[in-house]
Amino acid sequence: MLKTVIEKEIRDLIGSTKFAITFGACAFLIIAAFWGGAARYGLHQSHYEASRTQNLRQLEGMTDWTAVGSTNIFLPPQPLSTLVSGVSNDIGRTTLVTGRGETSAMDSRFNEDPIYAVFRFLDIEFLFQVILSLFAILLGYDAISGEKERGTLRLTFANAVPRHTYLLGKMTGSFIVLGVSLLSAVAIGSLLLPLMGVPLAGEDWGRLALIVLTGLLYFGVFLTLSVFVSAMTQRSSSSFLWLLVIWIVSVLVIPRVSVLMAGRAVEVPSVDEMASQKARLSSQLRDEFIDGLGHFSTEGRDITGDPTRFLMTFMDSLTDVRETKMQEFAGRLNEDRFNRQREQQKLAFGLARISPAASLSLAISRLSRTSTELKNRFFEESMTYKESFGQFMKEKTGSNAGGSMRIITVGGPSENAEEPKAIDPSELPVFRFAGASLTEAVNESAVDMGILVFFNLLFFAGAFAAFVRYDVR
Amino acid sequence: MLATLIQKELRAIILSPKFFGSFAICSILILLSVFTGIQEYKASQKQYDAATNLVNEELLVATSWGNLDTKAYRAPDPMQVFVSGLSYDVGRWSNISPETGVKLRHSAYSDDPIFAVFRFVDFAFIVMFVLSLIAIQFTYDAVNGERESGTLRLVFSNAVPRAKYLLAKCVGSWLGLAVPLGVPILLGLLLVLVMGVPLSVGHWAKIATLLALSLLLFTFFVFLGVLISTLTRRSSVSFLVAILVWVLFVMIIPRAGVMAAGGMVNVPRVAEVEAQREGFANERWDKFYADMIKVWENSCSISAEGRWQSMKAEDSARKAIEQEIEEFDARLQEDLQQRRTRQEDLAWTLARFSPAAAYQLAAMSLAETDTQNKTQYEDAMSTYREQFSQVVEQKRAESGDELGISIGMSMTPDGKQEIAVGSSRDLGALDVSDLPRFEPPKQTYAETAAPTVVDFGLIMLSILITFAGAFVAFLRYDVR
Repeated sequence: MLKTVIEKEIRDLIGSTKFAITFGACAFLIIAAFWGGAARYGLHQSHYEASRTQNLRQLEGMTDWTAVGSTNIFLPPQPLSTLVSGVSNDIGRTTLVTGRGETSAMDSRFNEDPIYAVFRFLDIEFLFQVILSLFAILLGYDAISGEKERGTLRLTFANAVPRHTYLLGKMTGSFIVLGVSLLSAVAIGSLLLPLMGVPLAGEDWGRLALIVLTGLLYFGVFLTLSVFVSAMTQRSSSSFLWLLVIWIVSVLVIPRVSVLMAGRAVEVPSVDEMASQKARLSSQLRDEFIDGLGHFSTEGRDITGDPTRFLMTFMDSLTDVRETKMQEFAGRLNEDRFNRQREQQKLAFGLARISPAASLSLAISRLSRTSTELKNRFFEESMTYKESFGQFMKEKTGSNAGGSMRIITVGGPSENAEEPKAIDPSELPVFRFAGASLTEAVNESAVDMGILVFFNLLFFAGAFAAFVRYDVR
Repeated sequence: MLATLIQKELRAIILSPKFFGSFAICSILILLSVFTGIQEYKASQKQYDAATNLVNEELLVATSWGNLDTKAYRAPDPMQVFVSGLSYDVGRWSNISPETGVKLRHSAYSDDPIFAVFRFVDFAFIVMFVLSLIAIQFTYDAVNGERESGTLRLVFSNAVPRAKYLLAKCVGSWLGLAVPLGVPILLGLLLVLVMGVPLSVGHWAKIATLLALSLLLFTFFVFLGVLISTLTRRSSVSFLVAILVWVLFVMIIPRAGVMAAGGMVNVPRVAEVEAQREGFANERWDKFYADMIKVWENSCSISAEGRWQSMKAEDSARKAIEQEIEEFDARLQEDLQQRRTRQEDLAWTLARFSPAAAYQLAAMSLAETDTQNKTQYEDAMSTYREQFSQVVEQKRAESGDELGISIGMSMTPDGKQEIAVGSSRDLGALDVSDLPRFEPPKQTYAETAAPTVVDFGLIMLSILITFAGAFVAFLRYDVR
């Protein structure tokens, strides 16, 4: 019996114009999004490579590492970031590393190229969140009330069909058809990625699979919700209206309002105030540094050879003192802000999760490494790189002064002076961005996936309860 | 006759069950968007005030002209309550110093990415996204729905001209939908007044233009729905077609246009350009110091008068190199700006195939939250930097303050090392009253409204096309 109902539902759906149109549009959009994502990834990758090459090229022809002083590191584009943008376009991607002090990332893509910020990107995140849910509603809004209006519901129950079998069959049928058709579109899209030169490691395929799974769960939420609402209403036009209202509220209203509310509830110290405090301390420390320099003397030291090395070590020790003080102060400020931001975020996302659209967006941005966590990661890893850069500079020049300086020796032993050798820029330590691992991402997104499963079950149960009492006439 | 038909249409819309729901959701969304817009505007205004105060304080406690620099902030504008545009995406401030160029950095979203996760919804977005959907929802079955229910046949069994009937349909649904929406919009404006957002006459003119533009876009979608309903026989089909066309116009064409332009015109990353500049600068300075070493080596043997001469020569050589680097940088920046303009022009042309995109672009231009605004601020800040640098350079020359620290080390004949640290500072505060302060660029109403003429024209044109299309299609419509 169940099989017959499922079969009937499948045949119904596949034969309907509605399915043909929505599926056609959906498949087209999904494939276009994958194609666009892959093309954009190529573009971003080439920009990234060009910036890196240019960054090393500027060192060419230099003969002294002390004159280098600083280098830029760049956040590499993540293979999945063009599919699920998250906040990857909003956070800074370039960090100037001087071996000392605090790093701060600059040049977010939207700041640099605001043209993209006007309409934003057509990516999988947007497609799933906005369009797929709308299509789920289109396909499900008249599941029950439409059949009633056409009179087929009455006919069906004139036979000995149990109501729960009917509903189960209807839902399974539509889920199979839609799931299979969506998956086939996604499969074609995913195949485009390696074809267009997006390097996907085994782990990335796992991420992609989980993203698609989350998308399907989200689709399921809106499908079961549509059936639920359709079983609650007598007319299909009013069920569509109700669903439209729910859709707008959950996609547009709840996520934004919860972030705004959290912004009001948890006060986060302003960056300007922090920057000003840091700048004040920094200028004070600079004065102390200059005072300290005056105390340098070479008395009692063996000054044969290169006398500047004493000065360098002396300056290094002074800078160390300056750096420790600065770091202590800045660390305290940063930590305070970081903790408050954390708190704010927890509250905001907690509230937003009332809406499945928020859960979807949070889960898939975590899975593709483009969540708000990306900014903290990049900061932490650039601080680690700063250490190794400082170490490198110390090895090369005997000092990690931070910032470029030039040592010019006038006179001195000019007889044995040889032509200074050009430095080799490739010796610079290479910055490799690791990002969150798959297990971490899965752990973090498990909550949201769980919420989506819960919504599925809830609406299914609701649809069931409503349908059992439904007046089929 | 026309009045009767319009009345009938109005009654049909207002009495329909979906009217109340749609009206309620639109009202809530419009009020919510205005309310949050005001909150956000006030927060940014507060942040801006605090930041500019800090900048002034920092100038007051500065002790040396040698390393004096300052910051210039972008000022929030009350229009961002309605059209937030790029105001949270573009950097909030730039360093102003004689040594480095102007560059806007630290966008609100990059400082607090949490707000970027679910972006703000402003009035323009509601109009473009929700009101257009509602318009289509009410008109997709304007003609074929009547045919299905059989009323179309009845109407035309009387002596009703088709032209009049269609006109009444369009006017009736337009009145029935647009007039009720005036209520939440007026309430929103009232909210703006009550919550004390400072609005000048120019702002009100901009708001009026924005509302006119919104009304036009709404009209376009109403007529588009009617057009689709005259082109199809069954309302279930026209419903789907309408939604698809809506998705296409509102979400696909604008994004696809920009993405296509991004692929077609290559704009290098800023980091790349900066590295190019750095490379050039390093090369020049290397050469400079190589030359200087020769001069210094000789300077031991020349008289005090000669040393003074060589110092002056060094100074002018340094200036010349700085100039050269600035010129090189300006060339690079100009090239970058040209590519960007080309990319933008192409992107906007492609996106404007959708009236919704034209609306969004016009709204952002009105609110001064578009890409032009960034360029304007950068230009104004560059001008400010020149004025600022001029004063600082002059003061540096007067006070003898220098940038950086010079450490001199010399060997006395008896083999002793001597070191002299030259740094420029005195502990007293500077007299910064001569320093210019940054004034945000201001645009008159005419300047902001001028670029929107194209978009006005485009939306009007698309209204005419849809109306004419609906008219032609309906004249041939089989009413049975």
